Amino acid sequence: QAQTTFVPRRGGTGESWEPADAAAVPLLPPNASCWDPSLAPQDILYRGILRRKLRAGRYGAALDFTKQLSHFFVDHPEDAFGSLGQLLHKNFYLGNSTLRRQAQEDTIRMTALMEEIYRLEARRGCPRHHVASRLRWFSHLCRDWLFEVPLGLLADCLHEELLLQWANLLFDDSPTGGALAWLPPKDMGACMGCVVYPGGQAMNHLYFQDVVLGELPRARGSPAQFELNGSIQQVAAARVDGEDFIGVRSDYHCGVWRVPGRTGAAPVPLQVIRTGTPASCLTVSPHLPGELAVCTQSGTVYLWSVETGLQRLRHDPQTMFFRDHSPWRWSDFTAHPRVLSCADRTGLQCLDARAPERCHFDLFKVGEEAGCQQGERVVLPLYLGRAHPSQHLVTTQFSVYLLDERLPLVPMLKWAHMMKAPPLFAHLTPGGPGRSHKVLLGTSRTQELLLLQYRGERWGSGRGSRSACQLAGPPQKLHSIAGCLQHLPAQLPHRHRLLQQRLSAPAAGLAAALQEDGPRESLLVFQLSEAGDVFCQRLTHEAVQPPAPTLGDEAAAAPGSSPLFDPAAALRYRRWLKALPKSCGEPPRHSWPPTLSQKRLFTRKELEVPASPSALHEEARQRLRQAMREGSRIQHWDPPATQIPALPQPEEPAGDLDALSTRLTAAWAGDWGQWWEERSSFNMAQRQRALRERRRRQKRARGQHSLSASFTSSLTYQSELSELSDAAPLPLSPACPAVLPQEGSPLAGSPPASPPPDEALLSSQSLRCRGIPKERRKTLRDYLSVWAEGPPEPPEPPGSQASQLCIPSSQSQLSSASQTRRKRARMGF
Amino acid sequence: SSHEHKLNFKKSKEVCLSYIQDAMLRKQWKRAAEFLTSYIESLEKDFSREYMGPSEIIWRIGTEILCHHSHSSMKEFNSFIEQMKTLGVKRYLKVCLEHTFHLLCNGLVDEAYENLSLAESWRFGEQTAIQDKEMKLIQAYRGLLDYYSWSKQKNILLEHGQDGFEDLSVEQEMHSCFRKAAVNLKEIIKIPGVWDLFVKCYVDLLEFYGDHNEARQVLNEYAYNSKFPANPNAHVYLYQFLKRHGESKKSLISTLKILHDIVPSHELMIDFNTMLQKSKKRKKRRLGLEVIFAALDYAGWKENVKAWSCLARQVKKIVISEKHLDWIKQEWNSRKDWWPTFHFSRYLAKRNWQENESLSYEKALVAGILLGKDCKYFKYISHQGCKAQMKRFRILKKFVNKHNPVYLRISG
Repeated sequence: QAQTTFVPRRGGTGESWEPADAAAVPLLPPNASCWDPSLAPQDILYRGILRRKLRAGRYGAALDFTKQLSHFFVDHPEDAFGSLGQLLHKNFYLGNSTLRRQAQEDTIRMTALMEEIYRLEARRGCPRHHVASRLRWFSHLCRDWLFEVPLGLLADCLHEELLLQWANLLFDDSPTGGALAWLPPKDMGACMGCVVYPGGQAMNHLYFQDVVLGELPRARGSPAQFELNGSIQQVAAARVDGEDFIGVRSDYHCGVWRVPGRTGAAPVPLQVIRTGTPASCLTVSPHLPGELAVCTQSGTVYLWSVETGLQRLRHDPQTMFFRDHSPWRWSDFTAHPRVLSCADRTGLQCLDARAPERCHFDLFKVGEEAGCQQGERVVLPLYLGRAHPSQHLVTTQFSVYLLDERLPLVPMLKWAHMMKAPPLFAHLTPGGPGRSHKVLLGTSRTQELLLLQYRGERWGSGRGSRSACQLAGPPQKLHSIAGCLQHLPAQLPHRHRLLQQRLSAPAAGLAAALQEDGPRESLLVFQLSEAGDVFCQRLTHEAVQPPAPTLGDEAAAAPGSSPLFDPAAALRYRRWLKALPKSCGEPPRHSWPPTLSQKRLFTRKELEVPASPSALHEEARQRLRQAMREGSRIQHWDPPATQIPALPQPEEPAGDLDALSTRLTAAWAGDWGQWWEERSSFNMAQRQRALRERRRRQKRARGQHSLSASFTSSLTYQSELSELSDAAPLPLSPACPAVLPQEGSPLAGSPPASPPPDEALLSSQSLRCRGIPKERRKTLRDYLSVWAEGPPEPPEPPGSQASQLCIPSSQSQLSSASQTRRKRARMGF
Repeated sequence: SSHEHKLNFKKSKEVCLSYIQDAMLRKQWKRAAEFLTSYIESLEKDFSREYMGPSEIIWRIGTEILCHHSHSSMKEFNSFIEQMKTLGVKRYLKVCLEHTFHLLCNGLVDEAYENLSLAESWRFGEQTAIQDKEMKLIQAYRGLLDYYSWSKQKNILLEHGQDGFEDLSVEQEMHSCFRKAAVNLKEIIKIPGVWDLFVKCYVDLLEFYGDHNEARQVLNEYAYNSKFPANPNAHVYLYQFLKRHGESKKSLISTLKILHDIVPSHELMIDFNTMLQKSKKRKKRRLGLEVIFAALDYAGWKENVKAWSCLARQVKKIVISEKHLDWIKQEWNSRKDWWPTFHFSRYLAKRNWQENESLSYEKALVAGILLGKDCKYFKYISHQGCKAQMKRFRILKKFVNKHNPVYLRISG
């Protein structure tokens, strides 16, 4: 020992693995499901004043109990008030008109109560609102008998469920272990492996997809598919004797598949078990074919052999080392094929399956020996057998521990990972002689992904290379799925939000494949999201250390300039984006235009259809149907484009400044008055010119009605869709020429002004002939002018255009619906 | 309001920290350093009662950045650490220790020693239990460095001694190093823990000065004191010590027996098995069989030729003598439901034959005896061996065929 050298436990030099792309790239087309984002805290927490008040209190979270209860009443009225509702509905009258004498005897008019309730809704959050006495009276009266389920009982159940949901929001351990597996190529040197992942609407389909590793891994052929009985929480795989065994866990079922050793062999389902309480763990033995470890939330650990069935190793609802409420259990294999490790939140024990009662020892204990923090709990143990037969990885929400079962309880290595969420997924890629082992850690909700390298004593390498485990190089952050959003071309806002939601779905699994291509090595990291999308990223290994430190800094220098993908990856993205809306079916509801209720504006009589519907009526109805079919807007409800020219916009002489800016500029310069003068005179002149022009044209165009060209709203919608799929903003003009006014057209880029509704509609004459009483005409006029978004109208335009009557959107919506009840089915409702 | 201000301050602190973390995880050390300079402001109002306060975070992150930053020098590192030492009194010793480690890893042993001596003389108020332990560690590491300089001088003396030259001052210095090292090392190994390095050094010192009793006592204490973690190395050191001093077979065996109980998969089990096989006592030979069977249970031993040949030799001996077949039977009983798939599958036969012929030979022998001549593994290997015209495989086939009835007795 002439020369003693010291090596650091951590922070030494590791291998350099650099990401090849700027972001993760989709490996497969988007999962064909309209993924609903999972519950968010704001869904079940109080908002507004109450929240602030409650937050000051001792309780950490203020669950919005009343909102949930009211949701239940609204969403499931049958379950909430079914029988009494049916009994009473004849006696409750919700209409407007007064009751006839005969009905008065056994019917109550509830309209006032309803109004009271609506008003209450409008005043939500108002500090000066008092519960109306009428409502209090009603609730006192019927609290005891109205509900199908007694209110107290229902409230208890709901409260329990809310607490459960809240706990799940804070930390959901059901996806522990991850639902993504990579089956490496069967033969050395081959490049076709297989990814196993869940998909489908409920994540209840299991797919085995062959993937060819290349510059960009790509799927080959269509996947083998199995439909299961529950949503898949975990997919675990191990290779024994050249065959892959895949364990699949859902809440109440666990199954095992086998993929035979031949290249291209189809997966074979072997066995399924059902558990009474949800299973929390399923691991596949790396030693013996067809052996798995299963744990359930009741604290039971089983050794499951496909040949001999289940063997119960332990049943203990209590945790091992100290009391912890979590029912989560985990089990994994160890260096000895008959010894299983068994974990709960407090630590790990090893059990001998041949005598589980007698033979066990503690492997890891949350406590002082391991230098644990207060509140630290085991999150995921992983057997590192492929790197070293007796080593285990244990992750907690704060740290990562490396353990050796030969010297239990004393961690070989500890590192605080500082991840924002507990790492639920871990994957080991063992390194060859003289190389470091790579461990990937992943979190679910925050999609974090870390690459750690460690070097340890290698098994069977003789006595020369004895050294303690050490962390090699600084840990490295890999791309998350959501990270690719900033590299994608700009999207429309609602589309962007949708994409963001989809891409930032919590992660659901993690796998990796090492690809050796001569001297070049790369590590392909696969990620699965809860929405069922599989992404992948490549890390390339630099055998020669480049001047590393500057490399990272340069990349950081220009955060705004997103490095572009190589063409293949960009194409992959384009396809994925194109396929996304298709896989989602129709656009989700929240992107639909808002609707406005005008129920109380007109009585039914007012909305009645004239005896002989005019041609325009028919057309309007037709357009309405089309709009409904396509789920598009009908705001640009203009008659044939040739007929009504748009009212000229106040044109800005300055050219590229909008009205407000010019006005502000003028005001700033002090000659605001002059600006106004100019503007109004300019307006006047232009208006007169426009009116003249319009009359001239109308004369010319009379008789050649053509609606087809003018239905612009559906056109715009189509263009939106195509724009999404092209993943690039489309120039406005060519796709929707119909909305551009022909005259005095505003500058390209500014939104086209919608033409006002036909003034003829508003004329008192036409209103009268439609049977609308005098006192309502004003309301209607105001209302319609709001809809038109146009400048205020001259009070009484010439009445000569009565024949070109056009029905504005919302009214026609209602009237046509009430009028053609018979035709509904044909309309596609 | 002040509450809101505090809240905002806390929030921006957190955001800043997450930026630093992000930069570090992407190896952008320069960017991380820039953020860290902003984060230092958080010290101003450090009311946190968290597990890790800002000053500790700054120390840890700063160290990490300086270790990787391309433009950092040892001088900068030292001055940063000196500042950190004054930042938190409670952490002083910990920072000193980490600083020492850093110096050692960079080969600056003298500076490290100086640093440790300085830390040792540091006093602040009443010592807590943790500080006490940290102080012991500091002393122990100083002892370790003393040991290394002792060993250096010893080597010089031994070399020069061969030349017939003696240097009194070197010798004196060496002895003083010994004293300093021994005092400190002795202290640390009294505390329960894993002190492999310190124990080895201390024992080396004691052995050099001929204090074998003390050395043995230290090793015994380290191995058998139940307050210490069940450390297999402790038993290995004891075994090696006993072997060096020519202790009796009996005490060696009893040491290894305990090691076997703790870690049946330890490499020394092969030595243990050989030792036991040679024994005249039946009980010990029986234990030998148990030991080698147990070792081969482990995944790490699957392809260990030495172990398989140990097992093959002993099994063969038993079969030939036809005595103690029940030993094999008993061992086999608890394994017959999983060893065939674990060790003797057709897939493994193919692979073993391709990769390691002698391994397949030893395994085929064991398989032939335990599972009979019709077992897949044996059939495949003997067939391949005979096809390749290898003599030992032909003999193997003959041997197994001849003793096939044994299989029936074992499995029956």
